[in-house]
Amino acid sequence: MSNLKETILNPILKGNPITVLILGICSSLAVTVELKGAIVMALSVTIVTGLSSYVCSLLRKTIPNRVRIIVQLVVVALMVIVVDQFLKAYSYTIEKQLSVYIGLIITNCIVMGRIEAYALGNKPLPSLLDGLANGLGYGIILVIVAFFRELFGSGTLFGVPVLSAIGYTNNGLVILPPFALILLGCIIWIQRSIQKDLQEK
Amino acid sequence: MNTNSNTYTVIYTTLVCVLVAAILAFVSQVLKPKQEANEKAETVSQILTAAQFGSKSEWQAMGNDAVLKFYKENAAQAIVINAAGEKVKDLSVEKIEIYSTSDLKAQNYNVKDGSKMGEAQLPVYIFSNGISVIPIYGAGLWGPVWGYIALKPDLHSIVGAYFDHESETPGLGGKIKDDPSFRAEFEGKSIDYSDEKPFRIVKGGAPAGKANAIDAISGATMTTNGLAAAIVNWLKAYRGYLESGSSAAAGNACTESVCETATEE
Amino acid sequence: MEYLSLFVKSIFVDNMIFAYFLGMCSYLAVSKNVKTANGLGIAVIFVLLITLPLNYLLYTKVLVPGALTWLSPKFADVDLSFLAFILFIAVIAAITQVVEMVVEKFLPSLYSSLGIYLPLIAVNCAILGGSLFMQQREFANVGESVVYALGSGIGWYLAIVVLAAIREKLSYSNVPAGLRGIGITFITVGLMGIAFMAFMGISL
Repeated sequence: MSNLKETILNPILKGNPITVLILGICSSLAVTVELKGAIVMALSVTIVTGLSSYVCSLLRKTIPNRVRIIVQLVVVALMVIVVDQFLKAYSYTIEKQLSVYIGLIITNCIVMGRIEAYALGNKPLPSLLDGLANGLGYGIILVIVAFFRELFGSGTLFGVPVLSAIGYTNNGLVILPPFALILLGCIIWIQRSIQKDLQEK
Repeated sequence: MNTNSNTYTVIYTTLVCVLVAAILAFVSQVLKPKQEANEKAETVSQILTAAQFGSKSEWQAMGNDAVLKFYKENAAQAIVINAAGEKVKDLSVEKIEIYSTSDLKAQNYNVKDGSKMGEAQLPVYIFSNGISVIPIYGAGLWGPVWGYIALKPDLHSIVGAYFDHESETPGLGGKIKDDPSFRAEFEGKSIDYSDEKPFRIVKGGAPAGKANAIDAISGATMTTNGLAAAIVNWLKAYRGYLESGSSAAAGNACTESVCETATEE
Repeated sequence: MEYLSLFVKSIFVDNMIFAYFLGMCSYLAVSKNVKTANGLGIAVIFVLLITLPLNYLLYTKVLVPGALTWLSPKFADVDLSFLAFILFIAVIAAITQVVEMVVEKFLPSLYSSLGIYLPLIAVNCAILGGSLFMQQREFANVGESVVYALGSGIGWYLAIVVLAAIREKLSYSNVPAGLRGIGITFITVGLMGIAFMAFMGISL
């Protein structure tokens, strides 16, 4: 049981996919301009990472080593695309909002990274948990970054005026991608000041 | 079993490929009619939103059938014109014949390339209150952007606009769709063919008093540039129609005969 | 001339890293020293150079509605574009797999220093991004797609080598403990990104 707990807690703190493993950076720059988008993305990635880790772990003994990348990616892409097609037919409004993220989810390195690093060597259930926990760890960072970027870039939170209501002038730099990088650098700084064992020499 | 042997690898890969292709083809075939119905209602609701008949969320709440019915009741006629501004054919209002996004994409090949402009066949949707709606289409940052511009009967004053995109960054380029204040900027503006670019989206703010320019979205340079280029290209294609049409000739005040042909179909 | 301007444009103005922020994960993680960065950079150029023209041909000759008419006029109505995304990915994954096997066999030291980031080229968004941009920009012929692939590959390569050089210097500097390594790298890249925005207004 302690092992399971470790599987879940590790990706959120010590092995966070963004700040420690450096995975999923592209999407964390793209979707953190507003909180709403960040949360949608965080949820989608959590679900997709969990499920694809589970499926690939089920298949792990059958996948030939030399074509494993293709098989993994095709499995992930297939699941995402099929879900997208169903949403398009039966829940068009939701699909309209999610469609922007489809490409970003499939090519999110976290999904592939966790399959390669964990799911291929572990049983399905721990793989599922590992995937979900990594998605969660990713989501937390996403929400933190999006909070600051929306607050100082647009003066709003969830689209509701907060700072702009008290006469704040929006900072254009904050909504540009480079600022997200600087912000992530600062988050890493804070995290490593607390967890000293993560510091590099 | 030796999962690393050549035979196994080849068989496994082939199986996966065939299976995946089969699943995708099956899903896309089975769901296609429903998806197309959704897309059609979406396109119609975008046209209606541009023409200021209601907001996007109202159409969503109404459901597909009600949106299509509203279009049938309020559209006077829909026509297809060529770059010279001549009517090529009618589109049936009763059957809700409209240009889908992929139709617009097909036309965009003709529109953006000056030499093929003569082959372009472009739709105009004319409503019974005299408002005409024309589409635009082009490339944004990550994927296509498109939209509709609604014009008063004089065919150069803009009543409203609606834009959509496939995959622009949420919160930045995505604002062309999500930010009502961006769309609202179009209202009351007008198209000016005496300018080199009939309509401009200006970074850093449009000069005051310029009727054919609006402010760009900050932080979304490439999406706005793409959208501006799309608007300019398509307005150029519509020039023949819009310039000739400010009189009754091209159907602003739906003349009796034209209205009848439209309803007869 | 058109090729030249497309080439220069895809290196500097449309730089994959600094204009689109694509392929960041391996960019940040594998830029510790110039040697490894060099290896990954070349691998990325190579994969781009093969997958882009290949995907271009696939897209224009097989997937677009009416593309199969070269086979038989009967296929004029076949629209396979729903397969585009997954086919692009499969092609990229296949090429990545080949590169991985080649590197493992002939450059074992590079293989171990690239670690998980070598298979991750398959999900390097710079590569899929290249194919999607190709689809969106509707290049006129294969030549343009080759030039574009080469340009954006070189742009990515230059960016990672520059960053690796900076990081080699940085490792001798007195950076606050928590920022050392990856933290200061994020901030460096952020600043480089801001500097690169100067290219954005240029039209060639």
